[in-house]
Amino acid sequence: MAGSLDIGGSQFDVSWFLLLAAALFTLGAVGVLVRRNPLIILISIELMLNAVNLTLVAFSRQLENLEGQLFALMTMTVAAAEAVVGLAILVDIFRVRDLEDIDDLSELKG
Amino acid sequence: MNASAVALSILLFPAAGALLLAGRGWRMPRVVTQIVGPGVVWLSFAATLWLFFNQVNGDFAYWTWIKSGSFELPFNLLVDNLSIFMCMVITGVGGLIVTYSVGYMAHEDGPSYARFFTYMDVFIFSMLLLVLAGNFVFLIIGWALVGLSSYFLIGFWYQRRSAVLAARKAFVMNVIGDVGMILGTFVLFVTYHAVTYAGVFSHLTSLASVGDSAPLELAAFLLLVGAVAKSAQIPLHTWLPDAMEGPTPVSALIHAATMVTAGVYLVARMHPIYDITTYAHDAVAIIGAVTALFAATIAIVQTDIKRVLAYSTMSQIGYMFLAVGIGAYAAGLFHLLAHGFFKALLFMAAGNVIHAMHDEQDMRKYGGLWNQMRPTSVTFLIGCLSLVGVIPFVGFFSKEQILGAAFSRPGSLGLTVWAIGFATALITGFYTGRMWWLSFWGKPSPQRPVEHPHEAPMVMMIPVAILAVLATVGGVIQTSVLGFGPSAVSSYLDKVVTAAWWEAGRFPGGYTREFLVAIALLTMVLAAALFAGALRMRPWSAVVPWAQRLLERKYYFDEIYNAAFVRTMDAVASIGYRDVEKVVIDGAVVGTGEAAEATAGSLRLTQSGYFRNYVLVFIAGALIAAALLLVRTS
Amino acid sequence: MAIAVFIVFGLLAILGGFGVITFRQPIRSVLSLVVVMLSLSVLFLLLSAQFVFVVQIIVYAGAVMVLFLFVIALLGPARVTPRSRLRFQTGLSALFALAFFGLLYAMLQGVQYRQPDHTDLNVFGTVQSIAVGLFTTYLYPFELTSVLLLVAAIGAIYLSRRDES
Repeated sequence: MAGSLDIGGSQFDVSWFLLLAAALFTLGAVGVLVRRNPLIILISIELMLNAVNLTLVAFSRQLENLEGQLFALMTMTVAAAEAVVGLAILVDIFRVRDLEDIDDLSELKG
Repeated sequence: MNASAVALSILLFPAAGALLLAGRGWRMPRVVTQIVGPGVVWLSFAATLWLFFNQVNGDFAYWTWIKSGSFELPFNLLVDNLSIFMCMVITGVGGLIVTYSVGYMAHEDGPSYARFFTYMDVFIFSMLLLVLAGNFVFLIIGWALVGLSSYFLIGFWYQRRSAVLAARKAFVMNVIGDVGMILGTFVLFVTYHAVTYAGVFSHLTSLASVGDSAPLELAAFLLLVGAVAKSAQIPLHTWLPDAMEGPTPVSALIHAATMVTAGVYLVARMHPIYDITTYAHDAVAIIGAVTALFAATIAIVQTDIKRVLAYSTMSQIGYMFLAVGIGAYAAGLFHLLAHGFFKALLFMAAGNVIHAMHDEQDMRKYGGLWNQMRPTSVTFLIGCLSLVGVIPFVGFFSKEQILGAAFSRPGSLGLTVWAIGFATALITGFYTGRMWWLSFWGKPSPQRPVEHPHEAPMVMMIPVAILAVLATVGGVIQTSVLGFGPSAVSSYLDKVVTAAWWEAGRFPGGYTREFLVAIALLTMVLAAALFAGALRMRPWSAVVPWAQRLLERKYYFDEIYNAAFVRTMDAVASIGYRDVEKVVIDGAVVGTGEAAEATAGSLRLTQSGYFRNYVLVFIAGALIAAALLLVRTS
Repeated sequence: MAIAVFIVFGLLAILGGFGVITFRQPIRSVLSLVVVMLSLSVLFLLLSAQFVFVVQIIVYAGAVMVLFLFVIALLGPARVTPRSRLRFQTGLSALFALAFFGLLYAMLQGVQYRQPDHTDLNVFGTVQSIAVGLFTTYLYPFELTSVLLLVAAIGAIYLSRRDES
């Protein structure tokens, strides 16, 4: 079967890793949707990015192609950059007002 | 100097004058306007005289305006005896009147003064274009421009509401005539596929050469609509009395000597058509006769001196229509010339009086001017006698020729119109006499605005005097009416218009013409009796009040037109505005905007401003995409 | 044995994930995320991605999370917040999340995997092979990523500047 991996003598199926990643991704999505603290939201986004990394590396192993890992490295870089900028913005907002609830930032309503 | 250049220069002089005065006239010293305004008209007169003495006759084409397939429309001028005759009237009498108005309009300020002469020059140009054009298109262009200039000039004192309304009325009625002219040209074009005079008339060489005369009759009637509108004949006449709101020189030029005679010129120029179409031709005569009588009766009760003259003009043009309608073209055109002399004279002399009376025009407030304004009174008397048709003034000869032609024309039409014309002549004597006695005789009215009126300045008096002389001696060129002497006008014009095909000009027994003179004088005396007070009679307004009212209300024409046309158009317009414009058009346009706004307004609610809502929508979108993928791949 | 490792660290990752979204204090959330990252790095190792494993620990858990910690230290602990204004948000979110996971699961059933490329698994994922890929075939994205980092750094510096007033 194409999906089976031989790791350290045991037989895995790549779909296990993929499901795990899917679960982590969903958890991250729920975090973004439900939590109101902006920091928690940023952290949840990081969780989602990690889940994607897992998917990439799993496929890389299954297809025996290094591109997945390279992509994962790139993703990591981008995630870092995005976290940096997001936190900088957050700090900037916190200087002006005491932001507890992201729903307070609703000035752009139509 | 070749003839075609001279012919074109007749048009170019007034055009150049108008352009100069329009562009720079109000900035230059007044004397420039005073010279350029009349000067260009006199230059045109000189050019016309050159053409006259050199007996020029030709169809000059200058350039091709439209060339489309087999259809070619040149800008051509037809110079023949008829057009030279008309040009002489226009530039000659017109020149005198424009010179006169240098003095009459002297009270205007700089820009207004230049504006007046600009409009006068534009008018002269348009009228010349009308009579010189060699094809129907330029005839209509000239026709329309004449109407436009008339609008400008009637509404010259545009601060006056009545003047603006009168100008508008004149313009609208003229446009009705324009439509008739255009439709007539279309009919001719469709039938003969030509728009030049030469092109159309070449098909009409004889009655037999025209197979079916029905389209020709239609075209003739349509062109007649144009003539009736421009010449203020029934039923398109109501604009002429109102047009007296314009300054007196305007009334003299446009509504006595030139514009209103355009209809007569039209019938004469189109004589190949009218010679064939009997119905339309008879209609011309009948309209003319009826208008003549009708206008004369209204003139009896008018109190404004200019209105009397306006109705008198209407009546006299009726005579001209009568003449060209029965086929006596030369007679009608001679009366056109004579009328130009004495009517312009009358208007201008009346202008002198109005000027001296500080713009008072009600005759009942005059009285006794004979003693105080002798020169003007003399010239006015000459004009009156000419209008009535007393020997030896020119009006006698021209009226005589018309009535004589009518009387001796075989057929019932001739006799009928003669009878109407004769009756009109009597009434003419009556109202003219009334006008004279009321204004110039007797004791000065107690309501006189000016105790000691001053005589007109030279620049105003000289043209009047020249016209008086012309009115007195002008008859000599056509004394053939009396049975002897030259018939210069007839022989000159008969070369281009059909000569009267019957032995005309002789009354049976030869005494009736003297009879006519005597009768006419008698009615003037009668008027003297009634109005100078020698005969104590109850005014007939007490005897037959309804008749007085009928005449004062001009036979209720204005009221009928108002109810039939104006109110109807107003109703249509308001329905259009209320139900079509506001509901449909505005609704569609504004409605589109409002629909867009409503849509946007409802879509706007999705922008709640909450970040988490947006993410929810994101995820929902991702779900849909994933579901689609799943469906696709399974 | 490998399967046991997978189960343990997989569970740890899931627990950490729950921790991320459940704790009220951000600091606890960040620490849960660190747990998730470390578990994931072990799983990477299981998947023959040695270099990624190391980078995940050093860079992600070591640098990025430390950054988060610093910001949390700067901003202080979370305070009491009133009830959420968006009433249906939680319910709908749970629904969507479940639907999403369900869909992903359904997608994985019956998916046809491509045949593997048959490389040498001994050098797969080593520093050397990654370096070869990164500096030859994928040099351009690599350079662009460094530019991206530069931009982010400059942006962060600019955003956190104090106003010159």
